[in-house]
Amino acid sequence: MTKTPFVLIVEDDEWMAQQHQRSLEAAGMKVEVVSHALAAMDALDTTKPDVLVLDVLLAGPNAFTLLHEMRSHADLAAVPVILCTNSAEQFAQDDLSAYGVRRVLDKTKMHPKDLEAAVRKVLL
Amino acid sequence: MQGNKDQIKKGALLFNEDELPFLVTASHELKSPLALVRQLALALEDSALSESERARIAGQILLTSERALRLTTDLSRSARLEDSLFEMEPLNPQQICEEVAHEMTPLYRAKGHEIRVVSRYRPILAVANKDLLRRIILNFADNALHYAGADTPVELRAGAQSNRAKIRLSVRDYGPAVPADMWHRLEIGLGRTVQPLHMRPQSSGLGLFVAGQFARAMQGEIGATRHHDGATFYVDVTASAQLSLL
Repeated sequence: MTKTPFVLIVEDDEWMAQQHQRSLEAAGMKVEVVSHALAAMDALDTTKPDVLVLDVLLAGPNAFTLLHEMRSHADLAAVPVILCTNSAEQFAQDDLSAYGVRRVLDKTKMHPKDLEAAVRKVLL
Repeated sequence: MQGNKDQIKKGALLFNEDELPFLVTASHELKSPLALVRQLALALEDSALSESERARIAGQILLTSERALRLTTDLSRSARLEDSLFEMEPLNPQQICEEVAHEMTPLYRAKGHEIRVVSRYRPILAVANKDLLRRIILNFADNALHYAGADTPVELRAGAQSNRAKIRLSVRDYGPAVPADMWHRLEIGLGRTVQPLHMRPQSSGLGLFVAGQFARAMQGEIGATRHHDGATFYVDVTASAQLSLL
């Protein structure tokens, strides 16, 4: 039996987070949402997600502070990351692969189903 | 083709290099609500949505569009500041706080948060332009919404400063603390330069810049205080002497 993918979403816009959560849950995935990087560290420690979906600009410490912190923990460094941002044009995925970033999604262009496809792709 | 090039050149000449960071921030901050409206509209395509879910998403589109419109109205008001004459009048700052709380309540409620005015018993009067002062507090309240904790209300209050010459209107949020180094950079440029996007995301950079402009047009100033559990953004304006004459 295939394991249900567990996705942790870090998104400080509550309504955007709801949309991401709805589309992933409709695809049969288990989802938890947190709104800032500090809560994300706690959730990463306790829930061990299969994939992290991460907005860049967050209240308090931003996504890169979280990515740096994750790199310093061997277990968390292995969690694949999907950046989901309004500023996708500023980030080249190749430059961020050292931080575990496997996909960069542009919130201004993506379709709700793109997130599901990206999660499935990084889990392959 | 040549016509298009001329138009682009003409457009580029409208902005000097100093204005480019402002344009970048403005376009980014408009992008956030527009991207959300787009995602919400795409969500409505899902035929599996119930009527109540459909109504909820339509309501979110409305409130998000209104937020984007507040931002564009502030931008156009800000661009016309130097050409305009502002009526400065004695006004009740508590009433401004109440009007802003009333206007923002649907958005706060829809996001599961509360905004409230902390009442005071001693009457105070400020000398300010009502529209600009209201816009400053709306900006702070919009900003605070993104940082408010789920169980803690955002508080608006108005009070006289200790020397009685100034009236302070403030918006307090209870949320994650901004890291000290980030806060220091935010404080240095508060309301005077457009903040880099990573300072306080969402509406902060442009909203605070515009709020600072509006405050200075009324001979006032904006500021901020960092707390271990959030932040207070405030505007100081001149106190009216009218009440002391009674």
